[in-house]
Amino acid sequence: MDWKGQKLAEELMQYMLVGWAIAAFLAGYFRTSFQLMMLVYAGGVILTVLITVPNWPFFNRHSLKWLDPDVAAASINPVKTKAAASAAAAGKKKGSRPK
Amino acid sequence: MHSFLLRGNAVLTFALTVLAVACVLASLTDTLHSSKPEVNVEILSVDAFGRNPGGNDEVVLTLHISADLQSVFTWNTKQLFVFLAAEYESSKNVLNQISIWDSIIQSKEDAKIQRRTRNKYSFVDQGSNLRGKDFNLTLHWNIMPVTGAMFSEKRVLTGFRLPKNYM
Repeated sequence: MDWKGQKLAEELMQYMLVGWAIAAFLAGYFRTSFQLMMLVYAGGVILTVLITVPNWPFFNRHSLKWLDPDVAAASINPVKTKAAASAAAAGKKKGSRPK
Repeated sequence: MHSFLLRGNAVLTFALTVLAVACVLASLTDTLHSSKPEVNVEILSVDAFGRNPGGNDEVVLTLHISADLQSVFTWNTKQLFVFLAAEYESSKNVLNQISIWDSIIQSKEDAKIQRRTRNKYSFVDQGSNLRGKDFNLTLHWNIMPVTGAMFSEKRVLTGFRLPKNYM
């Protein structure tokens, strides 16, 4: 899952569970059956698990864009990289022509 | 990064927490409930009255117990524990209470009681104070909930008296 997907999964979980609990409570209260409340809620929990736990494709729609390695390195240490690059270039010159 | 185990754990923990809150609310709805029980007990006959081998007074009664406790049941009631207690005063004790009959009612349909029975438990005194004694028969019921606190109610019936002499 990507970041937006994780947020979506967590929000879905919270709203679904609270919503199912309210529905179950009202169903049980007006039908004077505690067992009905438990059954409706259990069904709601299972449905919530099925929707929020597995890594469904719709949780991956805003996938992360990783940077190229060169661009990443440059953005972290611009000076050092340039110096290293020029030192490497100079070293190469020296080393390749022993006199 | 998230894993499905982490999400699974979060869902189940939150589900149980929400369920606990729902159960608290359910037990609170009991405070809104009003019950109208009807109770009547008659002593049909005194079958035996004398001293038992332990030296204490003992009485055997045949009772007619009729009670309608259907209105006591709520959606949050698991069962009622009903018992009939004989209550009287003696020189030794300010209050004597003896449970002489009980029953467990597990559903609303069974809550209409019509019993003609001898006392289930011995009606025995501490000593010999029962001759000519005035006593109350009190029907108590404990309301055992599915979730939450247990409450107790009772109905007191007065005006019963035991014979003046042993039989």
